[in-house]
Amino acid sequence: MAKNCPDYINDLNDYLDGGVSPELCAEIEAHIGKCQNCRIMVDTLKQTVTLCREGKEEPLPEALETRLRSLLKQRWDQKFGQK
Amino acid sequence: MNERELITKAQSGDFDAFIELVDTHKGKVYAMVRRLAGNRQDAEDIMQDTLLKAIDKIEQFRGDASFGTWLYSIALNQARAQFSKSQQADLRPIEDYLPMNSTAGRHEDIGLFDWQDPHQALESQQLRGILNEVVAELPYKYREAFLLRYVEELPVKEVARLTKQSEASAKSRILRARLALRDKLSRIFEAEYGKELS
Repeated sequence: MAKNCPDYINDLNDYLDGGVSPELCAEIEAHIGKCQNCRIMVDTLKQTVTLCREGKEEPLPEALETRLRSLLKQRWDQKFGQK
Repeated sequence: MNERELITKAQSGDFDAFIELVDTHKGKVYAMVRRLAGNRQDAEDIMQDTLLKAIDKIEQFRGDASFGTWLYSIALNQARAQFSKSQQADLRPIEDYLPMNSTAGRHEDIGLFDWQDPHQALESQQLRGILNEVVAELPYKYREAFLLRYVEELPVKEVARLTKQSEASAKSRILRARLALRDKLSRIFEAEYGKELS
């Protein structure tokens, strides 16, 4: 029996992450080639990850840095004694 | 001085060695905590608790993993403790996010809008705001799985270990989170610039 769009969904993530067999990969690609909805689904799922990866590093706010440094020193001194 | 030497010094009470270790990893840990928390205040609290806990447990660090990974684990536990009780909402079943055959008549429900490149239509600050918002709206357990897998780029096996789930369960959370985020972004982008593309 021919597969429909929903039948592919559990394999889609593996497909996008490169974790499906060559046979299944070819099958999914053939389906995407014919099905506009699934093509959009795959493209936008891929972009969801790409967009979320942007801005991966975020510096600590300066006020937090200052507060932390003093709090950490305080806790350190309580634990190890002042040096 | 390498990491191993810094750890040995920190474990014997050298504060500067501890700070050097923290300075190397804090930016990355904070970025993850900021996304996990969804808002700055909670992120700052979690970051503070994480580093204080690291001091409390410094002797227990055996060096099986890197210091950065160890800090990550502490931060994840702190974040989970803070959010898991308050955010137990669930996502819709996977089927609700699927493109259906046109005969099923559900295209309108799932917003299959072809975004193309949102950078072309939106200012980067606006786009960043949208992304932060949609990620923050995910129930915590899904947000955590998604971020670990795709932002921290950890393998599913490691996500499962860190979130104390089976691999199958971690995989399902990752997929559902990705589908839900796509769905939300699709609706927002369509409202923001859908007409310009049509």
